[in-house]
Amino acid sequence: MFGQQVISGLATGSLYALTAVAVVVVFRNTRTINLAQGDFSMIGAFMALIFIKDLGLNYYVSLGLAVVFCIGLGILVERLVMRPIADSDWLTLFTATLGVYYILHGVAGWFWGRDTKAFPVTFDPTPIKVIGGLLSQGHLINMAWAVAIGAALYYFFKYTKQGIAMRAVTDDPETAELMGIPVRFIVLLTWGMAGFLAAFVGVLIAPIIYVAPEMMDEVLIKGYVAAVFGGLYSIPGAIVGALLIGVTENLAGGYLGSEFKTVTAFIMIVMLLAFRPQGLFGIQHRREV
Amino acid sequence: MAEQNTIQTRTDKLKQKFGRQNWLAAGVLFLAALAFPIFPGVEGWMASQASLIILYIIAAQGVSVLTGYTGLVTVGHGGFLAIGAYTSALLTKYFAVDLLVGIIAGGLMAAFIGFLLGLIFLRLSGAFMAIGTLGFAFFIGTVANNVPIFQGREGISLPPNRILGLEIEDLGFYYVSLFTIGLITLFIYGIVRSGVGRAFMALRDSERAAESAGINRVFYRTLAFSISAFITGVAGVLNAHIVNYVSAEVYADIWYSVDFLVATVVGGSAVLMGPFIGGIFVVMVPFFFETLADFAYILKGVVLIAVLLMAPAGIADLLARPFRALRRRQLEQAETGSTNEAKP
Repeated sequence: MFGQQVISGLATGSLYALTAVAVVVVFRNTRTINLAQGDFSMIGAFMALIFIKDLGLNYYVSLGLAVVFCIGLGILVERLVMRPIADSDWLTLFTATLGVYYILHGVAGWFWGRDTKAFPVTFDPTPIKVIGGLLSQGHLINMAWAVAIGAALYYFFKYTKQGIAMRAVTDDPETAELMGIPVRFIVLLTWGMAGFLAAFVGVLIAPIIYVAPEMMDEVLIKGYVAAVFGGLYSIPGAIVGALLIGVTENLAGGYLGSEFKTVTAFIMIVMLLAFRPQGLFGIQHRREV
Repeated sequence: MAEQNTIQTRTDKLKQKFGRQNWLAAGVLFLAALAFPIFPGVEGWMASQASLIILYIIAAQGVSVLTGYTGLVTVGHGGFLAIGAYTSALLTKYFAVDLLVGIIAGGLMAAFIGFLLGLIFLRLSGAFMAIGTLGFAFFIGTVANNVPIFQGREGISLPPNRILGLEIEDLGFYYVSLFTIGLITLFIYGIVRSGVGRAFMALRDSERAAESAGINRVFYRTLAFSISAFITGVAGVLNAHIVNYVSAEVYADIWYSVDFLVATVVGGSAVLMGPFIGGIFVVMVPFFFETLADFAYILKGVVLIAVLLMAPAGIADLLARPFRALRRRQLEQAETGSTNEAKP
């Protein structure tokens, strides 16, 4: 029972991790908590639904198109909304993304209705034996995707010019600018990456839950909690936080009842913040006077 | 020297005049609100809708004390709304207390929890504070859902409202709300203009600088939390008694918390009039577009972003700009005018 809960917790956690990583990547380059991250995924899921169901495209082609679409959406949000207020205080940036959230929510409801839709690709529940328990094939595929994307991100941040530039902007945007790094382009790239990750989360999670405007609300919250758990600046921290939350909430759901799932994540984060305000892997940034 | 004095008295007089104008405007608004139910074309249901707007404004005022003046972003004030509501509901149900007692008890209970939360989150700010307060709202919602005394989704039905022994209906409730918001607005006005308010704003502008100027961070942060929670708790009491019913269905909904924050930001978080405009906005948009919920979402988002792009200090600040410019010109005239007279 215990091992089983842990394994399926890791499976859900790996999808939270992709959202958490997107939250971290955007936050550390722009000081923005992107509340629209979940809705990027939701739009991605809807686009994939249309590509597969109405246009009859192949699953992988649809996934690719949804990714491209969401990257565009991220870039659009950066250009239209976030760039003009890039120098504002934290609250302004935060509430601006809330505005984007409202708009995307409304647009999705307008076009596709409020009722939930089934995703045309079914989730494969065939159980497969993994160390210590059973895991459905669908979860296993999702985990494989998450690991592959994680590896791609690792490569990107470690070896590509853009990835290194992105980390430079994180460390010190002013010095990065002086070193000739096109900070504005990097910020654009950051939002594009948020869209990229969002599309995968949306399309991968759609068969497990359903497709509707509010489908991602819970995932967004968990992703945000996981990102804060890891300290908001650390990608490995966010991943660890997401897996931890996935496992803990699954255990809480299994032993206490499903209504305690979300609150467990919050109790964890509140306890952590009370004792370690900078998060688990956070660095205490020197605050300026 | 005498010259200097005349300029001083002139500008002082002008400032006093501005002050009187402000009080007059506030007084006229209050009287208009008092007389609102006898205006032609006003129907019975409007009184309860107006009470709803008022309680949203009060809740947003609570948020503005913490987020606007002290700089601590909260996405969890729905939790204080729930604490106020349930405190008064339980007291009314089991002890049949007066609404007045309920309002004070609900506010104080929220203030106490706010004080504790302020202590727990003493070192948080920004994104960390936001997620912490959101977690608090979730926690309160789960408690309301699962602890038996709060009766979860079934909810608690309350007897008709009585204040000072008098049974009141929608109209009476409107007046109770109106006097409550009047007192709270005066309270906030008093705080903002006092040393306490200046300490809050100093902490907002720079915690380090404020601390090195001798402002006790622990004291003022927990004080801001308590005051803010008290005000939103009072709004919660009104929210319970406006429908004589509390249920976890309502209070476990974290969208209250988000709405209060939006109201504060749209109206203007550090402007006295801000929560008024924001509160009206947040209540009336879904009200007008009840059948067009998706459009209401889009409108809310567009207005929010437009405000942030064009008037980051809020709509109230935007509306006040021409008046401020006019007054500044008058003040300048008073200064330069007197020096011109004195010269020849």
